[in-house]
Formats: sequence, C-alpha cells, structure tokens
Amino acid sequence: MDGNAVKTSISISSLGKVFRKGKKEIVALRGFDLDVKDGEFVCLLGPSGCGKTTVLRIIAGLEDKTSGSVKLNGREISFAGSDRGMVFQEFALFPWRTVRKNIEFGLEVKRIPEGNRAAISQKYIDLVGLTGFEDAHPTELSGGMKQRVGIARALANEPEVLLMDEPFGALDAQTRNLMQKELLRIWAATNKTILFVTHSVDEAVFLADRIVVMTARPGKVRETIDVGLARPRDRTSQEFIRVRGKVLTELDEEFEKARAKELSPD
Amino acid sequence: MKDVTQALLRLIQSNWRRVALGLLSMAVFLTLWSLYAAWLRAEWPFQGTPSGAWEYVPYPWEVLEAFYLSFWSHPVSGLYMGSHVYASLKRIVAGFVLAFALAVPAGLLMGRLWTAESIGKPVVELFRPIPPLAWIPIFLVVFGITWGPIGIVFLGVFFPILLNVQLGARSVDPTLIDAARTLGTRKMDIFLKVVLPSTVPYLITGVTVGLGIGWMCIVAAEMLGAVGGGVGYFIFTAAGNSQYPYMYAGMLMIGILSILTTGVAGLLERRLSKWMGMR
Repeated sequence: MDGNAVKTSISISSLGKVFRKGKKEIVALRGFDLDVKDGEFVCLLGPSGCGKTTVLRIIAGLEDKTSGSVKLNGREISFAGSDRGMVFQEFALFPWRTVRKNIEFGLEVKRIPEGNRAAISQKYIDLVGLTGFEDAHPTELSGGMKQRVGIARALANEPEVLLMDEPFGALDAQTRNLMQKELLRIWAATNKTILFVTHSVDEAVFLADRIVVMTARPGKVRETIDVGLARPRDRTSQEFIRVRGKVLTELDEEFEKARAKELSPD
Repeated sequence: MKDVTQALLRLIQSNWRRVALGLLSMAVFLTLWSLYAAWLRAEWPFQGTPSGAWEYVPYPWEVLEAFYLSFWSHPVSGLYMGSHVYASLKRIVAGFVLAFALAVPAGLLMGRLWTAESIGKPVVELFRPIPPLAWIPIFLVVFGITWGPIGIVFLGVFFPILLNVQLGARSVDPTLIDAARTLGTRKMDIFLKVVLPSTVPYLITGVTVGLGIGWMCIVAAEMLGAVGGGVGYFIFTAAGNSQYPYMYAGMLMIGILSILTTGVAGLLERRLSKWMGMR
C-alpha cells in the first residue's frame, strides 16, 4: 500500500452467512469481499434476497457471520456498538420520545451528562433541518421528517460509519429525491463513510462514489462500478443515463438468475 | 366557521343519542325489574296470590332508599356505608399494589426470556383457571383475617396484568430493539428504555381488566374476614339478616366502585399515552 493512500474504513473478506431454518440451510452470502475507503459513499445494489441487507446487518453487529472477516478501521467487529450507526427503512423511531429525545437516545445510554446531550442533539437537529420540531413526537411527522430524525439519531453518536438500509424505500418519489439531495449535503458536512443498501439503480447512480452490484443468492460481489460523475448530478444528463445503463445491464442478468432460481423446483 | 359549528352540533347530537339510548336501556331494565317484583307480590298490574319469594326481590326504589339510608344509618353490622367502602378500597388497593409489583417484572421477564417463560408458564397455566374463591379455606389459615382477603384480591388482579404485560413484552417491535443496539445500548437499558415503554399500553389493559376482577373477588375475599367492615361483608351480612334491599344496595355499590376505579385507570391511560406521544 503506498503512503498517501486513503485509509480503509470497512474491510470485508470472504464473508459467508448460512441461515438455518430447521433442517434447511440457506446460503445467503458466500465469499463476499469489499473494502470501503474512509469518507466514501458506497451503494450496495442487487436483486431482492441477494443478501445486501444481511451484509449491512452483519457489519452493524445485529447478525452473526458464519465465516470470513469484517473489520472496521482495522478492528474485527463483533457486537453491535455505537461506532457503527444504522438508519432503517422503517425509521425505527421510539414513538414515546420526542424528536430531541430520539436523537439523544444514544447519548443517554452512554451516560453523557444532560447539558452536553442538549448541545449535541441541537447540532444534529439543525444539520438535518428539523429546527422547530424538537418537541414533536414521531406520529406528528411526515415520512421524510421521520427519516431525518433517523439520520440525526445515528449521527449524534458520532459513528465511524453510517449504515443505511433502504432508508428512503418507504418514501414517495418526490420526498425520496429531496432526501437524496439532503443526504449528500449531510454527507458533505460530516465526511462520514456511508454504506447504503438500495434496490433502485437511479438512487445508487445519483448518490454513490462506487456501486457494488451483488449476485443473486448466494450473494457475493459481481461488479464494482465507479460512478465518476461530478456532483450535483443531473438525472437527465447523457453521462448519468450512460452509467445507469451500465449498472442496469449488470443487474438485469442477476435479476434473471434470481427469477430462474425462484421458478425452478429445489 | 359554519362547518365548525355544524360539526360541533353533530357531535352533540350523536352524543345525545348515546345518552338517550343509555337512559332508555336503564328504563327498560328498571321497568322489567319492577314488573317482576310486582308479579311476585301480585300487585298492580297483576292479580292473584303472592309468591313466597317476593321478599327476595324488592322494588328498585326500595333498593335506592336502602342505598341512601346505608350512608346515614347503620342497619347492617353497625357501620356506615362510607366505612365499608373505605375498608374494601383498602383491600383492593393493597391487593392491586402487590399484584402489580410482582406481575409487571414477571410478565416482562416471561415475555422476553425463553428461560423465564419455560419456568413460569407451567405454574401460571396451572393456577390461572382456579377461581380465587377456591383458595378461601387455605388463605384463612395461612394469611389470617387481615391478609387473607388481600390475598384473594391479589389472585384476581395478578393474572390479567401478568398475561397482558407478557404479551406486550413479546410484541415489542424488533426493529426498535435493533435500533437501540446499533446506538450502543446494553441489555439492561434495552429493557428499561425500549421494552418497558413499549409495554405500557398492554399494561394499562391488564390493569383495567385486573381491577374489574379484583372487585368481583371482594365478596369472596371478605368472607374470610372483614376487619373494619367492607362492601362484600355488608352484602353477605345483609343477606344473612334477610335485609334484601340492603343486600342489593351493597351490590349496587360494588358496581359503582368498579366503574369509578376503571374510570380512573382509563383517565390515567389517556394521560400516559398522550404524554408518551402514542396518540
């Protein structure tokens, strides 16, 4: 490795995961390798059931790996911890807590004194654009605003990486586009490493530095595509459409494989 | 503005209908009761010879009169109704507090840990269907006349709270627990800050049901002993003295007390869920 190379944040090698359902064994991942550089925005893309969420959950420590190694800044990860923040598709906000109290949850369980908590939560409330909604409860918020809380809550812990599991999957198209722009703004402001799972090619090309296309089950990396487009990206530009086409071609083959597997009897 | 007033009017109208229907149902009930009492007595509008059972069924107004009088005189057992209510409330509260203190942690553990469930389930399933009444002889011996009645109430309140809390703890949204874990939360805090608040709505259901059953047990409980009286004691003493209007007055009192305590629990629920932002 040469001296001025960017530090590797997440390093995954020959990761394997087998789910057991009674006597049945389902190989979800086999030989999955991926390095994510510090500050990089990587999208994981693949047909449904390819194990992209499983990869994320293993990094987060919510799921045990069967084989292989997952390192975060050189340390092998084990249990879930506040060094890896996660944003969920279902928002997963605590309904009995206000926006501020949701964002302070991680600080609270770390026993950070109340005064410091308020300062930190205010910083992230302002960053994600929730100023004025501090005392609202999740039921009073729209989907987009709920996910802003989800992002702020993960960031307030100052994690080394941000893991996002189809975070905008439950939002309508307009909100989704807006939230993608907002996420890029937040990313630029915090320099976080982001690993983002999606099944939308458009979303991946709009957001990512690099797109990792996974194979159908058992999931591994099929192809890594450097997007290489300047930001802000224009969805209607020639280059955007070209990259999109390239990713779609890769993905379509895997979709076909996944479909064939679904139709064939075991 | 016009829409708002119209909506308000409609709301009053619909509530009026509810009140009117409620009054109507009470009126029908009281009429049927009066007719039955009249029939037993062969009084207007009936004729013939009175039944021997007439004294067991007083007219509604006789019961109301007895209810009123029981507060100002002490026809049964030398105590005013106020003292009986106070004594019974004390038993209900003591039984309830004990049951709550044990059932909530037990329910949380049984809902979250399979070991706790495996240990608790056989005992719970075995004891749950036994009517509290069946325990009277042994409770009298083991707990005596002060704690025996409280024990009976405890049994009535304990199981509804336990089962509801267990159900609530089991139904905690797993993504909330995932979220807490990725925020660096340890087991104890997941219990206190995620599982416990998620369970509150179920807990309230358990409390409401438990309180109702607690009142249903009070007559049986006070058969064990009623230091300082009690509404249950009032009922069976009046029955023993053939003071049937007073017996019914005591029954009416239990109905009213149950409505009041359940109402307080409901009020608490609305406060709590509003405070927790659940609605």
